Amino acid sequence: MSFQRSIRNRTGRRRVRKEFELQLTSMMDVLVIILVFLLKTYSTAINSFTTVAGIKLPVSYSKDVPPDSLQVIITPEGLTFENARIVDFVIAAGGVGSTDSSYTFKTNDLDENGHRIVPLFDALIRAKEKSELLKQRSVKRDAYGKPLPFEGVLAIQADKSIQYDVIRKIMYTGAASGYSVFRFLAKAREGI
Amino acid sequence: MFSRPSHRRRSNTETVQLNLVPMLDAMVTMISFLLFTMSFLQLVSIDSPVPRASTTELEKQLAEKPVQLTLSLRKEESELWSPFERVPTVTIKNAEPGKPDIRAIHDALVKIKQQFPKEIRLILVPYATIPYDILIALMDNSRTLETTDGAVFLKNEQTGVDEPVKVLFPELIFGNLLGDNE
Repeated sequence: MSFQRSIRNRTGRRRVRKEFELQLTSMMDVLVIILVFLLKTYSTAINSFTTVAGIKLPVSYSKDVPPDSLQVIITPEGLTFENARIVDFVIAAGGVGSTDSSYTFKTNDLDENGHRIVPLFDALIRAKEKSELLKQRSVKRDAYGKPLPFEGVLAIQADKSIQYDVIRKIMYTGAASGYSVFRFLAKAREGI
Repeated sequence: MFSRPSHRRRSNTETVQLNLVPMLDAMVTMISFLLFTMSFLQLVSIDSPVPRASTTELEKQLAEKPVQLTLSLRKEESELWSPFERVPTVTIKNAEPGKPDIRAIHDALVKIKQQFPKEIRLILVPYATIPYDILIALMDNSRTLETTDGAVFLKNEQTGVDEPVKVLFPELIFGNLLGDNE
């Protein structure tokens, strides 16, 4: 009996000693498929626009890819300019993120009969001065040897529930601080 | 003389083991790189210049009487009109209160474009509470001419050939930045 067991154990040991090889071919197949899919759908952005969590952007048919510019993000909670929250809305009964008009500006955030957003105006002026200073120091010059002019483009990224009244105030503030073009950002419609 | 059968078999079945490990490493690196640098959110833009007012321009406008097509949006209806009465005013009832009939507005714009193919500017006057997504949809439909729309031709002044126009009113300007709350 003990003799038989020892023989069985010996055969088992022999099996374990056999060289173990990982089957990489099937893994390679999967990786090749993933790689091909990623290469086909790969798209890099030519801008560095960021977004904020929870924002629901509208969808647009436009094919214009926005180049880099200063941007203001509007959510039902507040305004964000260049990654810094500059205005917090007063949230009424509807609550945060609600689709009704439950958000409004604080009274001391507005002036000029409620048209201009003061913190945004200050931030836009600072950004404009910074941009002009950088352009003065830059080696790039126009045909007359003068520094390149300030582009004055302000990208607006807004939640789809934001009302025109807020966007209008932002445009008014932008125009008052020397910005001449407003770039409305939206999510590209799939399949265009 | 024949060699031993066992020896012959061994020489034929000798397999070359391809070393897949470095290839696998490269692939994993590439996939990680693609995943990290890929932008999953593709943004597009619609530009709108700031409206400018000057006395010289106003005098010029009064003399020329441009179309200056204006789209006034209200909660109950939308209106397409020209301050110099170059086009008859078109009133379009909203599909629902607060939701403009975008399709009907687009069709009306196409008809005006057929009359004035050189015109590229549309002045938007939305009401205060219109949501941003409806505004974007309206701007989209006011800018682009679809393939199903009637053909619009514009004479090329250099060649004298009628060429199809591919855009509707790409220059959108907001006309009520200083408007009241309604």
